[in-house]
Amino acid sequence: MSLKTIEAAPGFKDYLPQEYKDLIDDGPFLKQRKVSELGSFKEAIEEHPMCSGCAMTLFIRLVYVGLPSIENTVICGTAGCGRLAISQGAVPFVYGNYGDTNAVATGIKRGLDIRFKEQNKDVVVMAGDGGLADIGFHAVMHSWFRKEKFTTIMLDNEVYGNTGGQDSGMTQKGMVMKMAPTGKKFEKMDMLGLAKTAGVAYTARLAPTNPTRVANTVRKAVLIAREVGPTFIQAYTSCNIEYAIPTPKVMDDARAVEKDRYQFVEYFSDEAKAYWDDSEKERKRLRKAAKQSG
Amino acid sequence: MYSVAEVDKEICASTKCRLCTQFCPEGNTILYDDAVGTAYVAVDRCKGCEICVGICDDLAKHHAIKMVSIDQVKDGFEISKVGFKATFA
Repeated sequence: MSLKTIEAAPGFKDYLPQEYKDLIDDGPFLKQRKVSELGSFKEAIEEHPMCSGCAMTLFIRLVYVGLPSIENTVICGTAGCGRLAISQGAVPFVYGNYGDTNAVATGIKRGLDIRFKEQNKDVVVMAGDGGLADIGFHAVMHSWFRKEKFTTIMLDNEVYGNTGGQDSGMTQKGMVMKMAPTGKKFEKMDMLGLAKTAGVAYTARLAPTNPTRVANTVRKAVLIAREVGPTFIQAYTSCNIEYAIPTPKVMDDARAVEKDRYQFVEYFSDEAKAYWDDSEKERKRLRKAAKQSG
Repeated sequence: MYSVAEVDKEICASTKCRLCTQFCPEGNTILYDDAVGTAYVAVDRCKGCEICVGICDDLAKHHAIKMVSIDQVKDGFEISKVGFKATFA
């Protein structure tokens, strides 16, 4: 999708809803918006039905800011809380069936590469821990082993929030959940380790305690996925309903969990590191040249 | 009745910190007026989670955001009526 597909045909603009006109005039398309500009431009996502004070929504909102080319992005998701918000964003959203999200994304990415040879089209999978680590696990692993060039973002709320609080593979050991009345008996899955083993080009784990870092990490992951190979971001997005976190304490919880067991880590493969260093140098050179020329 | 966030524009304009706009889970709910340099809340979008209050009090230490009952809000900005504008006036 480019801005041309969003813009109204001449004469029709007056008949469009106000929200749509705002998106054309003040939207995030065709320019890289920064986190520090939030509140001063029309965002790609708003008025979603997620719970009050949901950290997952905050994270999704920051992902939309971080996307390097939002008008050329397709987001693929599946059942879970996240899709309630993502499906309402001003970015094409494809609903993969529960379990085959990454397989669907593979098809979309390959199709887009054939259809648009001259353009970079980004595909981003954004789904929950249930959709990616439990039910969608096989598709996730195989897309990584096949080195498919798209980004997978896991919204890890450590529970099946949408269906009422059953434990997932990403739930901490010992947590008492709906289907684990005596506490979950198994360890939280090590998705970062699995990603590393599968040869994922760039892996990151973070909590939404630093908005600029979230946007930068997403941007990095999408850019590396364009050129090198699969990338993976695992984000802690607490469920304040199932974990009974009072909404004013959501960010305190995120900071505490980040300090305890969810520190920011990122891992580059050698190829991804070489590519990223080169592209950083190139960007620096361009910035310098732009400064000198005026 | 429920409560929504209200920004004290005088305190906010003296700081220019913008942190609340970055931590609100709702898109285009805490907006920012670049001309005046203050954040303002779209009262029809605020779900009353109080995250911004915690951010303003604990992280920024400006104490500029308070929760007020929706029927006590005077001249609240309603984004559904006027659309997105980078000013509350």
